[in-house]
Amino acid sequence: MSNIIIAEHITKRFTEHTALDDVSVEIPTGSVYGLLGPNGAGKTTLIRVINRITIPDEGRVLFDGKPITQQDIYRIGYLPEERGLYKKMKVGEHALFLARLKGLSRHEALVRLKEWFTRLGIEDWWDKRVEDLSKGMAQKVQFIVTVLHEPRLLIFDEPFSGFDPINAELLKTEILRLRDKGATVIFSTHNMSSVEEICDHITLINKSKNILSGRVDEIRHSHGNNIFSIQFRGNESEFRQSATMAEIMEYNHDQITGLTTAKIHIESNDNVRSAISAINNAVELRSFTEIIPSMNDIFIRAVNGTLTE
Amino acid sequence: MRNIGLIIMREFKERVYKKSFIITTLLMPLLLALVSVAPTLIMIFAKGETKQISVIDNSGIVADKLESNEEVSFITLVNADLQQELKSSLEKDEFGVLYIGEDIVTNPNNIQLYTNTSSSMLIEDNIADQVEQIIKNERLKEYNLENLQQILDKVEVDISLSTFRNGDDEQSTASSSAASSIVGIILGFVLYFFLVIYGSIVMQSIIEEKNSRILEVLVSTVRPFDMMMGKILGVAAVAATQIIVWGLLIVTMSAFVIPALIPDDIMASVEALQAGADVTAMAASGVDTGMVTAMASIMDTGYIAQIIGLLLLFMVGGFLLYAAMYAAVGASVDEAQDAQQLTTPITIPIIFAFIILTMVMNDPNSPLIVWCSMIPFTSPIVMMGRIPSGIPTWEIVLSLVLLYATFVFMVWIAGKIYRVGIFMHGKKPSFKDLYRWLKY
Repeated sequence: MSNIIIAEHITKRFTEHTALDDVSVEIPTGSVYGLLGPNGAGKTTLIRVINRITIPDEGRVLFDGKPITQQDIYRIGYLPEERGLYKKMKVGEHALFLARLKGLSRHEALVRLKEWFTRLGIEDWWDKRVEDLSKGMAQKVQFIVTVLHEPRLLIFDEPFSGFDPINAELLKTEILRLRDKGATVIFSTHNMSSVEEICDHITLINKSKNILSGRVDEIRHSHGNNIFSIQFRGNESEFRQSATMAEIMEYNHDQITGLTTAKIHIESNDNVRSAISAINNAVELRSFTEIIPSMNDIFIRAVNGTLTE
Repeated sequence: MRNIGLIIMREFKERVYKKSFIITTLLMPLLLALVSVAPTLIMIFAKGETKQISVIDNSGIVADKLESNEEVSFITLVNADLQQELKSSLEKDEFGVLYIGEDIVTNPNNIQLYTNTSSSMLIEDNIADQVEQIIKNERLKEYNLENLQQILDKVEVDISLSTFRNGDDEQSTASSSAASSIVGIILGFVLYFFLVIYGSIVMQSIIEEKNSRILEVLVSTVRPFDMMMGKILGVAAVAATQIIVWGLLIVTMSAFVIPALIPDDIMASVEALQAGADVTAMAASGVDTGMVTAMASIMDTGYIAQIIGLLLLFMVGGFLLYAAMYAAVGASVDEAQDAQQLTTPITIPIIFAFIILTMVMNDPNSPLIVWCSMIPFTSPIVMMGRIPSGIPTWEIVLSLVLLYATFVFMVWIAGKIYRVGIFMHGKKPSFKDLYRWLKY
């Protein structure tokens, strides 16, 4: 798979601090790529470097393998974190203005806008003034004009902030639909559940550094803490004697079904098989599953520096 | 180019459809008309009652010759005593008493005005002028000259210099440099007026854009140069619309007023001159030839269209250049308050140019003036004064090229500042940074 964007050793300094410190990312074509990180980590700066709004002090950005140029910018749709629209303009007129700036003909822009307005259920906003829109409403309008010209690369900075759960869900569906139509999507977020749902790849930035990059499923599996959930039928003391190689973290016995659920931690990968077979010999084992950490866990552990490889 | 067009249209629509714009555009000429008739109106309404002045004339020469008018009326008292008259004057509710001494002709200071209320400059001047004239005539009389009045009339002279351009290519056009210079100065002021108003509109709108965050969307969509150029041209189009509407309104209004103001005989001479009559012949007939040639040249459409056309080119160029400078200021600050001190240096060349413009009248071809009419920051205003007096075409072309090239360059600079200024976060750009930005 080729990479649509490669950022190499990006460093960006401001007066008071370094916003990005030797950050490299590779964004595969056709992926949904999440940029994660605590507030002030440098996500927005990285986005601005990628779409040429800010010039990095060191490093370079490649678009389709070649250093990015102004022409490439027209193939990028960008939704900034701080939304801005001309307050006095009417919604429809404004959307049309931005759509035409991106190179669509008036007719084409109108057709596409009507289609999008209908799909997001905001047809009757066309003649409203921008200043009368709520934050979420304005954001929907801005989302539409970002994607309208069907750019190859879409960059959303905090797309879910300001949306209620229903609209956030709607937005996720649209993002996936755009990916299926061939676009590559980069977005920054704090919303970890959305990361698990729609991202293929992530980069975690903390304190101006890239501390974790890769495919979401790989990251989650490789950062399993060897914690397992088991269910069995049998005697508690026999179970505890058999589980010498594991640390029992939780223990629940259900009187009605006679089933016991437990959460255990096995120190080393090498001991997993023997630990399980020991338990299996002692009690009637019903199920055995590894608990894969959520992105939320990984995020917190990574940021706190307690993430182990 | 397409994007510039779109931005121009947006800027134009946003401003022209504003209620405040429509109202000021329509009301301003009315207001101007009101202001121009205001003095007359005030005169009509402010006219007080006629002031009564009792005159005690011990010389017996002056009192009879004093002429009463709407302001004052003089009542001559015979054999009156000043002290008594002063008392009775108070009771009679008069304006006051004028005392003229016996030896007024030889001693012009022997004249006093006693007023019952506060005096009025207008009346004092009126009396002084009249008495002066009377004494002058009395003194002349003492020489016993015959035909005194005829001699005086013959001596009276009023020079009006007719100037001709000694052109080698075209027929000599009677050009009154005074009239043309007035056109130039008026256009210069119009330019200044629109610069100050619309320049700050450009600046404000850029600052607003930075604060409303729309710029991040725009910067990731269009080139900053297109952005700036569109904004400046859009606002310029608004200014042009306003000028055209005002011009039309003023012309239609004055179409009814001006013919009524010009005396018929002058109008006839103007038409005669346009028809090819000889100026010198006309001078003999006692018509004010300076006035006639000036008016003829104003009304000579071919000549005036050419000059106005050139002046407009300079005016538009000057407007665009200064608007671009305002744009650069807007791009480099975050708040309107910060912009204040940065706009001051912009207005200095304009004021300097106005000072030069007043010198153009004396000598349109002095080296300082020629240089100032080439330097883009002063040329729009200085050329306003120079063009009507006639200068070589190459100078005009060179000056225009310099002006418009500087404008485009300034827009480019403003665009760069805009781009760099956006996300600097208080970091002062070093020269190295600036260089890299210019290349990016």
